[in-house]
Amino acid sequence: MAQIEQSDGGKKKKGAQKKMAIHVDFTPMVDMNMLLITFFMLCTTMIKSQTLNISLPSNEKIENEEQQSKAKNSEAITLILTTERDANGNVKSDAEGRPMNTIYYYEGKPFIDDADKDGRIDVSPDGYGILRAEKFLGNTPEGEQGIRKILHNKNKDALAQIDEQKALWREKKITDEEFQKKAKEIRNDSTLTRPVVIIKATPEASWESVITALDEMQINQISRYQIDNINQVDSALILDYLLKNPKK
Amino acid sequence: MGKVKIKRKSTLIDMTAMSDVTVLLLTFFMLTSTFLAKEPVTVITPASVSEIKVPTSNVASILVSPEGKVFMSVLGEADIDSNDESWSSEGVRKIALLSAASKYEEVTGKKTGITQADAEKFAKIGAFGVRLDKMHEFLALDQSKQDEFMGDPANADAGIPLTDIVYQNADGGTEKTNEFQIWMRAFYNSGNGNLQDAMKKGEGIAVKADRGTNYSTLHQILDNLQTIKMNRFSVMTALKTEND
Repeated sequence: MAQIEQSDGGKKKKGAQKKMAIHVDFTPMVDMNMLLITFFMLCTTMIKSQTLNISLPSNEKIENEEQQSKAKNSEAITLILTTERDANGNVKSDAEGRPMNTIYYYEGKPFIDDADKDGRIDVSPDGYGILRAEKFLGNTPEGEQGIRKILHNKNKDALAQIDEQKALWREKKITDEEFQKKAKEIRNDSTLTRPVVIIKATPEASWESVITALDEMQINQISRYQIDNINQVDSALILDYLLKNPKK
Repeated sequence: MGKVKIKRKSTLIDMTAMSDVTVLLLTFFMLTSTFLAKEPVTVITPASVSEIKVPTSNVASILVSPEGKVFMSVLGEADIDSNDESWSSEGVRKIALLSAASKYEEVTGKKTGITQADAEKFAKIGAFGVRLDKMHEFLALDQSKQDEFMGDPANADAGIPLTDIVYQNADGGTEKTNEFQIWMRAFYNSGNGNLQDAMKKGEGIAVKADRGTNYSTLHQILDNLQTIKMNRFSVMTALKTEND
């Protein structure tokens, strides 16, 4: 390959130059190429990072409160995110390596009455406004887990319809665009009971937990959600929860 | 018995085929590579199921270090139709620096000492995070010193300050702003229409932060964006699947 063979046809003529096979050694060339490849491999980003779009409500307070009071008790759900940190401020991980994020949530308006004056918040009579705790657990073969299960149940009407469309799309009966359009229509269909999610985060909550919460909105096809600031009522509810359920 | 003669074979291996392969690989990597942009701090972005790609041009990115320091960078794109050079990344940076400096001087009454030569230097810089009154000094440093300046977590001058600047507006009332807001407005009004559109739609503003960063740190940034009516923006994430 790297040598050029020159056959001398027949007898050597007198005075003809002695013909040599020419070998070109490609080893240094390969060496250099390998170095260049290594350089390019180390310097490149093959996977481009993704983005998640967020729109915050405008910070005029009045509009915000109106929207909150409009939502029905059965529709509204408030998530409050916290993250456990060690003394150095690093996020703690549990045995499975998941960051220790806790999501406190309550449905409807917060319930903070203490009629028997025992210093603990009473059990809400209609079941709304009670603070509970959940975790981000994702899916298992049995289905949705953790907070996803709760959000899934809240939005099950829309999700069931979207799943129907998804099945059609999988069977290639509708195109990708048609599916996206249908899914958007279902997400914004006001005849269905759709949840209104308010996401709040405590100051020590990790950025990851906020993004994961926003992600859950996408996964559960929830169209109405917003990021809000934590208030005193929320802090009081968490304190009360921790008093009732001390950590082991 | 006759001796068995072992034929001496040449140990030369023909490297031509190998060379062919390496050249092909090299070509592939050269064509597909996009170089990692140098950033003053390394952050690991949180994962999300969103599959929207980061735009490669017309984007103002905000990088938040775990300590809460803010760095910014801007990428423009020269428009084919207008053929306007000021629309490129360098042009946008140049204009943004000068307008941010003049706004800063207007609201604080301090001199920044930023010259046209500084603007030329600034046009070549990627991510930056320096107080505007230190910008002139910073631009006089050579590149490795600049990286050191921004990368040092103990350096109080690194990062764009979010402290309020209270000033009197034209009507005599008091208003509040800060350097972060000045920069964002400077990018928005840099004269690049495509960048302005992208920022309006939200895809032109990218917030990048580490997964462990406190929400209180990010909240400041989100609050500032809300104040300047940039309610729509995007957040840099890594990819994950729904099951995680």
